[in-house]
Amino acid sequence: MGYSSVFLIEAMQKISFEEDILPLKDKLFRVAFRITSERADAEDVVQDVLLKVWRTHTSWEDKNSVEAFCTVMARNLALDKIKEKGRNTQPIAEENFQQADEQGLENAFLNAEAESIIVKLIEKLPEKQRTILQLRDVEGRTYREIAELLQITEEQVKVNLFRARQRIKMQYLEIDNYGL
Amino acid sequence: MDYKYIEQLIDRYWECETTIEEEQILRTFFMQEKLPAHLLRYRAYFSYLKEAQKIGVSADFEERLRKEMERPVVQAKRIGLLYRFSPLLKAAAVLLLVFSMGSLVKHSMIDTTVEPMIGQVEDTIQEKIDQPQVAYQGDTLRLLKEDAVAPYLEKEID
Repeated sequence: MGYSSVFLIEAMQKISFEEDILPLKDKLFRVAFRITSERADAEDVVQDVLLKVWRTHTSWEDKNSVEAFCTVMARNLALDKIKEKGRNTQPIAEENFQQADEQGLENAFLNAEAESIIVKLIEKLPEKQRTILQLRDVEGRTYREIAELLQITEEQVKVNLFRARQRIKMQYLEIDNYGL
Repeated sequence: MDYKYIEQLIDRYWECETTIEEEQILRTFFMQEKLPAHLLRYRAYFSYLKEAQKIGVSADFEERLRKEMERPVVQAKRIGLLYRFSPLLKAAAVLLLVFSMGSLVKHSMIDTTVEPMIGQVEDTIQEKIDQPQVAYQGDTLRLLKEDAVAPYLEKEID
């Protein structure tokens, strides 16, 4: 396709789909997955996002803006997905269940149980807080990056993150104290 | 071992006062096997956050994506008002055609109504062709309007 040769010429400033956009797939997946709680739906979302970016054939000037664009789109499509399906709450926890079995079955079971409680706690958060927590604590983003990605102010990011962490702290410790 | 630093980090974490690096330290710290009892309760949370970084698309995702990328794009066309109503216009055109044909046929039928008299005469004769006397029957001849035909028939009879 003539598309790639254009990129070869202008590779210095322009963004290439292969090198800059495709590698976002896992990050976008995690953002979408946090919202949909279902692998297949989240993968559909990521595929839609990447195809849309691929088909717009726009030469992006700035890598951050592409990422922000993709993140916003992934989030919106994921939100559409759950709206379409109605609220579904399948825990993400099973994902990590297999990974834990080096520590012995008993331990793994305990871990998996504790983890599914954590997952439920995070799932109970309002979507905005959940997405911000994901971007900060899983993806390791700065407040500024999150603000850019979600197109909100840094102040809003901090407020939402603070509420999210407080809520998790309170609820998690509450459950822990009652020995669930 | 002194866990003051970690405890302090955890407190600051809940208050959103930790830096990215400090949060990284927390997540890594809780990945270790041996933890003091009072910190154990935080393990599930921080180790979950660490584990969640590994979640990604499934192995065949890229293959499926490439397949989709190769598929030709169907560009949405801008549809004009005339184009959008074209099925309706087509239907209207067909109706118009049918009606105009209908009325045309009807008109041509009316034009020919002058002549069927003869046709009727011929028919009645044909039906009773095995009875020659029918030709002379009064009611058959009465149907013929034009005088020009009647004398001719009479002549034949003579």
